[in-house]
Amino acid sequence: MYRYDTIDRQLVNERVAEYRDQLQRFLAGELSEEEFMHLRLRNGLYRQRHAPMLRIAIPYGLLSSTQLRRLAHIARRYDRGYGHFTTRQNIQFNWIKLEETADILAELAEVEMHAIQTSGNCVRNITSDEFAGIAPDELVDPRPLAEILRQWSTFHPEFNWLPRKFKIAINGAKEDRAAVAFHDIGLHVLRGPDGQLGFRVLAGGGMGRTPAIGAVIREWLPWQHVLTYVESILRVYNRYGRRDNKFKARIKILVKALGAQEFARQVEEDFAQIIDGPSTLTQEEFDRVSAFFVPPPYDPQAPEVDPETVGDKAFARWAQRSVRAHKTPGYRSVVLSLKPTGIAPGDATAEQMDAVAEFSERFGFGQLRVTHEQNLVLPDVRCDQLHALWQAARQVGLATPNIGLLTDLIACPGGDFCALANAKSLPIAHSIQARFDDLDYQHDIGELDINISGCINSCGHHHVGHIGILGVDKDGEEWYQVSLGGADGSGAADGRNAIGKVIGPSFTATEMPDVMGRLLETYVRERIEGERFIDTVLRIGIAPFKDHVYQGSIHAHERAPDRVNDTRAATPKRQEVMT
Amino acid sequence: MSQTQTPAPSGQAPVAGGRVLSADGSWADNTWHVVREGEASEATDTPTLWPLVQWLERKAQGTLPANAGVWLAPADDPAALNADFARLPLVAVDFPRFFDGRGYSTASLLRRHGYTGELRAIGEVLIDQIFHLKRVGFDSFVPREDQNAAHATAALQRYSETYQGATDNPVPLFRRRAASLRTATGS
Repeated sequence: MYRYDTIDRQLVNERVAEYRDQLQRFLAGELSEEEFMHLRLRNGLYRQRHAPMLRIAIPYGLLSSTQLRRLAHIARRYDRGYGHFTTRQNIQFNWIKLEETADILAELAEVEMHAIQTSGNCVRNITSDEFAGIAPDELVDPRPLAEILRQWSTFHPEFNWLPRKFKIAINGAKEDRAAVAFHDIGLHVLRGPDGQLGFRVLAGGGMGRTPAIGAVIREWLPWQHVLTYVESILRVYNRYGRRDNKFKARIKILVKALGAQEFARQVEEDFAQIIDGPSTLTQEEFDRVSAFFVPPPYDPQAPEVDPETVGDKAFARWAQRSVRAHKTPGYRSVVLSLKPTGIAPGDATAEQMDAVAEFSERFGFGQLRVTHEQNLVLPDVRCDQLHALWQAARQVGLATPNIGLLTDLIACPGGDFCALANAKSLPIAHSIQARFDDLDYQHDIGELDINISGCINSCGHHHVGHIGILGVDKDGEEWYQVSLGGADGSGAADGRNAIGKVIGPSFTATEMPDVMGRLLETYVRERIEGERFIDTVLRIGIAPFKDHVYQGSIHAHERAPDRVNDTRAATPKRQEVMT
Repeated sequence: MSQTQTPAPSGQAPVAGGRVLSADGSWADNTWHVVREGEASEATDTPTLWPLVQWLERKAQGTLPANAGVWLAPADDPAALNADFARLPLVAVDFPRFFDGRGYSTASLLRRHGYTGELRAIGEVLIDQIFHLKRVGFDSFVPREDQNAAHATAALQRYSETYQGATDNPVPLFRRRAASLRTATGS
């Protein structure tokens, strides 16, 4: 993975010093609440319901064992002994003391980590495929380009005060595991017919209040021009993105208003002025950064073993869900589940983090990945060590055999923590996990993405859940709206994506397990052999699901159509959006 | 320019007090009067910054006084000045709120279009914006009156290096890294 040189280290240290100075000026009354808010957000610090929350970047999902141990230490020393891995390859600590935040950032800088631009209206942490460099379906390893973009976007002087947050994702595989179509800029790295490296560029995707699939604004961009072209996109957005209404300020609204073609034309017009300028990427820089991502020293003698033929049924079941194919014979990647029933999805204790750091050294090369499904990945496990890993992971509660299944659901922290949420999301996650905890049932239902967001900001990515659940506020009460048929591009060989459709009026929290039960009953009734839940929804549409859910007893009382109450999000004190 | 120290209120650090900070760290009194939009103002001998619309009107009418500069609002198109760079003694960009970042692109574009005269940031210019303002091409700043002058000066040097090319140095770090590596290895 990328290692800092003296300049990278110096810049991160200078950032810590800058933030420490800002914090002191705020505590001394020299910075107003509003002024400090913008500055602390750019260092990942939110004010939450109970305590400040610190969001730390895990650039494109890569972590070393040393870094994970440092996160465990931070959890113990500065928080309550655990952390929360998010859908954007960040980790959040929910019980931080404001006065200690500069010290935490200094501790992170020592292990080449930071919280720079993990919030605020600027370019956020660049996200990518958690299986980059190891997935058999990979066309181009996106990590060197992600790192180059990370450096380019860090402290960009022109684009630090955008109309709204700005998220860039990059994918280099056939399957889209980075959900690039749902980002402000989505980059598909490709090889052209002559073997040349380049990008297909999407802009204007996103979730939130107005979900949108990004439009292709350039079919082919030679790799050398990626920084200048992205600069032009950001310049058009910075100048013309709306600033009068925060709900219409994302680039997707501008792309929609202008039309993708006109937006692309304006980008090209600016790009023509800077193409081939000094910011054009060089082969030398590409090679320098790529050298950090060469494959580790794999053992060519590592035996190729089908993991499902080794050990007992419990191991086989875990292996079936958790073990993924690898480019290198004799190796597999392994997903460690952070979704045991009863724990907030994505939460890990300091002890678990230390254990995973140790696994990554014993069963690999001291590296691991963080996934946008809120799980952890050990990227380089020998086939003949999978059983030993499973036994070790079981002892620390990281071997729930539910990866990709019903209970491997994605949820935001919701109303239990977040100041913005309209409704709680964790109790809904728990009630669903508890109802469908039976593993035989889960394995029978098969692959299913359930995504829960506590408000329309969609941190739980409900728009792209096969089943999406959105917490809404109706007259001060918490209700849940259900949508079907979303897809983020992962789990499909062609990277197909879609925004889910709402099935009808919303439900109370207590109704939700029954609603889920009825959706699954419909699937079991309608599915044809080998068909996944999402495939059945696509084949028969949402009507049969809807009919079964709204028939009879769940709805004992008359209900009015949803009037989603947005007053909370509009209240000034609650403006810190969680995504 | 005279290097002045505004007397501070007793017991408090000296504040910017409406003075002008230059990119080289020196301070000077502000000699420019800013005419705000809709404000009636007659042309006088005082150096004056006019709103873009008024400046263009006076230019068209041939009534621009000698000491007439222009200031741009966030939504103004800097290309409107492309033909007039030679006659402009000063261009200012206004930041009505510090978090409205359009002025940064305005500055970049003015410099790209070839404006080489003085470019000044006015409005809600705060200590923590100064380093980036300097990078995109501003060479003078009128920090908000209450801003601590020493902190504002120090902010000009806040970072010792920068990753990406910008107006102040269009050569990105990766090219400089490569050059120093070549020098080091003698290749």
